[in-house]
Amino acid sequence: MRYILVLTIGLSLCRTAAADTIKATVNGMVCGFCATGIEKTFKAQQEVKTVNVDLQNKLVTIQTKEGQTIDDAKLKKLIGNAGYSVVAIAREK
Amino acid sequence: MNIKTLITLSFAIFAGVLAGEAKPLSYVGGTMVMQENDETGHTITLDYTFTPTEAFGLYIKQEENGKDIFMLTPELNTLLKRWNLPDGQGNIFNMSGAGVANYHGNNQPCLWTAFLADYESRRFFFSYEPRFVWDGNIEKSVWQRARIGIAPYLANYNDLNTWIMFQVDHHPAKHDHFVATPLIRFFYKTYLFEVGYSSDQHIMVNWTIQF
Repeated sequence: MRYILVLTIGLSLCRTAAADTIKATVNGMVCGFCATGIEKTFKAQQEVKTVNVDLQNKLVTIQTKEGQTIDDAKLKKLIGNAGYSVVAIAREK
Repeated sequence: MNIKTLITLSFAIFAGVLAGEAKPLSYVGGTMVMQENDETGHTITLDYTFTPTEAFGLYIKQEENGKDIFMLTPELNTLLKRWNLPDGQGNIFNMSGAGVANYHGNNQPCLWTAFLADYESRRFFFSYEPRFVWDGNIEKSVWQRARIGIAPYLANYNDLNTWIMFQVDHHPAKHDHFVATPLIRFFYKTYLFEVGYSSDQHIMVNWTIQF
């Protein structure tokens, strides 16, 4: 029983410390020149490890640093500041 | 060296390294330098986007092929409406400035305002811009510009983007009322470059850089 408890707590801590991969589907993102604003905006955030812009699939993929995340409201605000609209957000640990 | 000479000199230096014809707003906190050399003259603008819908900057123009008026104005660029669509983006902007115009030593207050409507997808581009200029007792002018463009291939974010474009300028105040300019646009990441040749035999070279 004690081992199960330790294992559960351990796994829970690992999960808390994991990085997020956030995939945002973005409307209006058709111009690579203009979309550089998304890359620059996210690279300026201390939580962000990498950012990838995919015009073909209308996706912005953000990987956060270990133990950090960006909530939906902030994500939408940052993409809005770059001139675009978020229509869906998917998260992976 | 007077201020006009200094600014004109800066112009010439910037012309070699800076950049053209893009949206008048970038991203919040972004700075953009645009430089246009076309049949109307030489223009340089420096804009800082401080909200998602507003940018503030400096507009300098040395006109040619008419009265060679020099203009220096602060400018405010405002996004009036944006449509973010699954496969495209449409915008309506207003750009306005108020400052000083100089013509043969005659300094006059000047005002200008322009509206820019555009729509682009990854394949097609359309824009229309009417511009109204009041240079005190020197001149009042109106011109309008329309552009269409097609991308010969669909480039992704990290690719070199290429556009084939056609621009028509209408200058009611000039004897050559319509000027057509076929041009080619390239951009890669934060660098945009355009080159064309107008029906009144002027080379167009535009650059834009985002910081």
